[in-house]
Amino acid sequence: MNQLQSRNPLPRETFALGSIPLVEGDSVLEARRKVHSLAALVAGDGLLSTRLATVVSEVGKALQRLNHQARIEVGLCARGNLPRLQLDFVGQLDTRSLGYLQSFFDHLEKDAGSGGLFHRVSVELTSTGVDTATLGRLRAIVEQKTRDQLLEEIQSKNSELEESLETLKRTRSAKDRMESELNIGRDIQMSMLPLSFPAFPEQGEFDVHAALYPAQEVGGDFYDMFMIDLDHFCFCVGDVSGKGVPAALFMAVTKTLIKSRAANDLSPASILSHVNSETAEGNDSAMFVTLFLAILNLQTGEMVYSNAGHNPPYLMRNNGDMERLEKRHGPVIGAMEGIAYGEDSTSLNPHDLIYLYTDGVTEAMDIDGGLYGEPRLRERLAEADYPAARDAVEDTVDDVWRFQGDASQADDITIMSVRYHGAVTREGETELTLNMRNDITAIGAINKEFNVFAEKHGVPSSVQRRMNVCLDELLNNVISYGFCDEEQAGEHEIELHFRLLDSELVVTIVDDGKPFNPFGNDPPDTCLSVEDRPIGGLGVHLVKNFMDKVHYERHGENNVVTLHKHMDGENEA
Amino acid sequence: MDISTEQIDSTTVVRMSGNLDTNTSGPAHEKLDALIEQGNTHLLVNLRQVAFVSSAGLRILLATAKRLNGTEGSLKISNLNETVNEVFEISGFNSILNVFTTEEDALNDG
Repeated sequence: MNQLQSRNPLPRETFALGSIPLVEGDSVLEARRKVHSLAALVAGDGLLSTRLATVVSEVGKALQRLNHQARIEVGLCARGNLPRLQLDFVGQLDTRSLGYLQSFFDHLEKDAGSGGLFHRVSVELTSTGVDTATLGRLRAIVEQKTRDQLLEEIQSKNSELEESLETLKRTRSAKDRMESELNIGRDIQMSMLPLSFPAFPEQGEFDVHAALYPAQEVGGDFYDMFMIDLDHFCFCVGDVSGKGVPAALFMAVTKTLIKSRAANDLSPASILSHVNSETAEGNDSAMFVTLFLAILNLQTGEMVYSNAGHNPPYLMRNNGDMERLEKRHGPVIGAMEGIAYGEDSTSLNPHDLIYLYTDGVTEAMDIDGGLYGEPRLRERLAEADYPAARDAVEDTVDDVWRFQGDASQADDITIMSVRYHGAVTREGETELTLNMRNDITAIGAINKEFNVFAEKHGVPSSVQRRMNVCLDELLNNVISYGFCDEEQAGEHEIELHFRLLDSELVVTIVDDGKPFNPFGNDPPDTCLSVEDRPIGGLGVHLVKNFMDKVHYERHGENNVVTLHKHMDGENEA
Repeated sequence: MDISTEQIDSTTVVRMSGNLDTNTSGPAHEKLDALIEQGNTHLLVNLRQVAFVSSAGLRILLATAKRLNGTEGSLKISNLNETVNEVFEISGFNSILNVFTTEEDALNDG
């Protein structure tokens, strides 16, 4: 460890970047991810960042075992000519529980406690230089909110709301009451939006911008955007019927349901169906929300979307063509229980731009009561060539303001734009692509080639062997049952893609066989004799147990199976 | 997949090396069947040199165990590495098959 050093607690001149909590399992993972991003940004060294992130995991887990509240203070300090990233682990920690990590802390100083307990450990990472832009990105990484923090925020918003409602009850006049209720509603609405842009400076695959201009009286617009995992970006725009506190609450509930469901569900149709059944149940006030939600696969550019009664967005292709995603996949959310929403997908090319908006844009009125209208928006977009997502939002909003003139704003105006830049090879990322024929005897060679790749990049052998089992099972499945026609043996190509990033191994298997979800409960294949049918789902059961996450989707003519495996805590044995 | 055998008292020790997967399970099954047909009814399969076993491998071990149980014979399995042991645990084969830590343990049993 040349660059990782431990030393006395707290340097004299630290430029604080904020702190990252280390409380429960999820927060350790969050912290790990953040520290990895920070270290990669500052030191530009993928391997070192991964090792440092592992330290965070281990320290985090140790702290968790001891059930102590702990956090990592992140700062930059100047020692010598170069800035250094400094991480202070703050919390009561038993050094003995760190085991093999002890060597990272060889010259450890304890600033409190005895008997192997210390309160603060500092780890420094030397940087080659940090400019203001990088500083902003570092801050943004530290400040990203965890799911727990979001939940806490919602809770504290709820209590603020209760207070406001108390005030409201005491307000005498009906007019005052109404105004005050609208204000509270607007406060809740605005406080739930992600407002700082650039929102995901560390994601080179896309840029996104959004703006919401609340109307004085009516309106329940909202938008949201978040990363589901390293490869999937989810974004949505919606419009809640009604106004004031009830609409704002309905929006808060909808937004929370979307986010929590999307954490484990990559299908917009399934997310909308779930959110609908949750909100429609016991919805006495008959409120509803129009919603467009999309999930963009940053690696492939595949965007899957579902539209529940919302204005169809525009898609501006990089060649100047403009499309409208006209398809509606179901009624508004919350109106009726038991709706199964549909979804569609489209492939984004680098520099394609998607433009989402609410009806406040097209229904903006000028002083004579004329509507801004769809044709004017379409024309504006068709003529433009926006360099970034932000330009699309700002240009069209400006045009609406010009049109509106001195007239008052009738409804909330919300615009979101996402520009896809294409897949990016990230810091510390390594990949391997292999192709094979649908020939059973070729499986062994694939496993061998994967093992060479895995060996070279330090994948623990226990992970290698498990992946070997999974590949054997899944490839056998595809080759034996994916292609009905016996004569087609060896005629099809199966593509395998391995990616190693931040100690996560992601494997994608693509085949052009008939639609088959190995993780679902598909009916048995009737084109096979009884002898040839798979014996139960034992192989798939093994795969599900060995991997952290498995996913299937049908992309056009292809089956795409994705496997995720974290390598934290895996031994080298 | 390489397979060697050694007779120790009444037990035929079958030492496999390689992987017991989709492609190697067929030949391994044939070898085990051939041994049984030659009258070897007490088999001990030592997996020390086997890196991983997939469900195809589990199937032939199960088929062999069933066949031997029907003929008063027995199948024992030993020396599972961490991954193979996990496969046995996840699939429940740990409780179906006679699994031993070492070859010695297996030979000394019963």
